[in-house]
Amino acid sequence: MTSLVDSFRTTMRGYLTYRGREGHLAFLLHRLTGLGTLLFLIIHIVDTSFVYFAPHLYAETIELYRSTPFMIGEIFLVFSVIYHGVNGVRIAVVDMWLPHKWTLTAQKNWTRWAVLITIVLWLPAAFIMFRSMLVHNFGFGG
Amino acid sequence: MEVNLRIFRYNPEAGRNKPSYDNYTLEADPTDRVLDLLELVKSYHDGTLSFRRSCAHGVCGSDAMRINGRNYLACKVLVQDVGNNITVEPILGMQIIKDMIVDMEPFFESYRSISPFLVNDEIPEDGKERLQTIEQRERFDDTTKCILCAACTTSCPSFWSNDEFVGPATIVNAHRFIFDSRDTAPEKRLDILNEESGAWKCRTAFNCTQACPREIHVTQAIAEVKNALTTGRLD
Ligand code: HEM
Ligand code: SF4
Ligand code: FES
Repeated sequence: MTSLVDSFRTTMRGYLTYRGREGHLAFLLHRLTGLGTLLFLIIHIVDTSFVYFAPHLYAETIELYRSTPFMIGEIFLVFSVIYHGVNGVRIAVVDMWLPHKWTLTAQKNWTRWAVLITIVLWLPAAFIMFRSMLVHNFGFGG
Repeated sequence: MEVNLRIFRYNPEAGRNKPSYDNYTLEADPTDRVLDLLELVKSYHDGTLSFRRSCAHGVCGSDAMRINGRNYLACKVLVQDVGNNITVEPILGMQIIKDMIVDMEPFFESYRSISPFLVNDEIPEDGKERLQTIEQRERFDDTTKCILCAACTTSCPSFWSNDEFVGPATIVNAHRFIFDSRDTAPEKRLDILNEESGAWKCRTAFNCTQACPREIHVTQAIAEVKNALTTGRLD
């Protein structure tokens, strides 16, 4: 068995330098968006718990969510959740019901469709959130 | 055409204790194989260069390596397929012994764990042959083609992270017997693949299918094994 440090090095070398195609990139993005969403949920549980444990801090954290970096982060969060969900459904459907679709061409097409559907679902939300940020944080329109 | 060849080197016997790279500029034909270039370097430039090869025709499975960041058999990939800047490195996730030679023993240990042979102690009905329909034979045809090169297993992100994972090649070879109507021990193999280090480590990243020099539908075979695990059906 290889040491944890060696495995981690090999993993990172593979992630960053192995020349995989759609499937590899989709896997990396799925993992990244899954972990990103998890991180957000953890932060969110902590800040919501302030209502009970430290009410005087709660208002401040709500303010934080309205800051520009957080609002941009939330636009990416929405992308993450949508991509993770759509791509997760792709994997589950093919793996469980259509294994014969795990061919070079079919999986390439399925993966591209997953990205396309993600973008189509994400753009309207991203637009609304971006506009809201411009209005509230930069005094546009409103 | 002129080819810039960059070769990974690690060879304690030749006093090269740290991984490093050697560069060569060689004259090559577009239809030369990358293996030909390595042979050229070994014969005319540096005899200490070490790599495995035996058949040189994509049959024995000994020369899987990372070429321009992707697993290939050096004997099956042409210079024109990879361009004239070529980097050759050992497959990922295995202990490097020297240069392109890695310790394959853990790979074969994993392979042996699923009993990669026909298990059947019963006497055939006619005393001679175990007959199969064309469809029954077709069921596992794809996975009979494996040459155990390890290109799939060492392209797998799950394997990079955890070498306890049995890896795609082992699952492919288990598939070969699990779906063989003559075999009587599919449950034994399925039990092993149902463990934490088994088929469920597959994340469908698809590098295996992309890398397989025999064009085996590796991810499909793994999915079929997963389905056999959840449904118990072997058809
Ligand atoms: C929309 C609902 C969701 C669906 C359909 C979904 C689907 C999936 C699937 C199918 C996998 C396995 C991927 C694979 O085997 O290749 C997975 C992994 C994962 N999911 Fe989700 N998921 C959802 C929501 C979430 C949420 C809300 C989080 C964060 C809290 C999350 C975090 C993760 C993580 C960290 C992984 C592991 C990633 C990996 O192994 O590469 N998922 N998800
Ligand atoms: S399945 Fe293909 S890539 Fe994997 S060991 Fe067999 S021949 Fe090599
Ligand atoms: S040398 Fe035998 S497969 Fe390449």
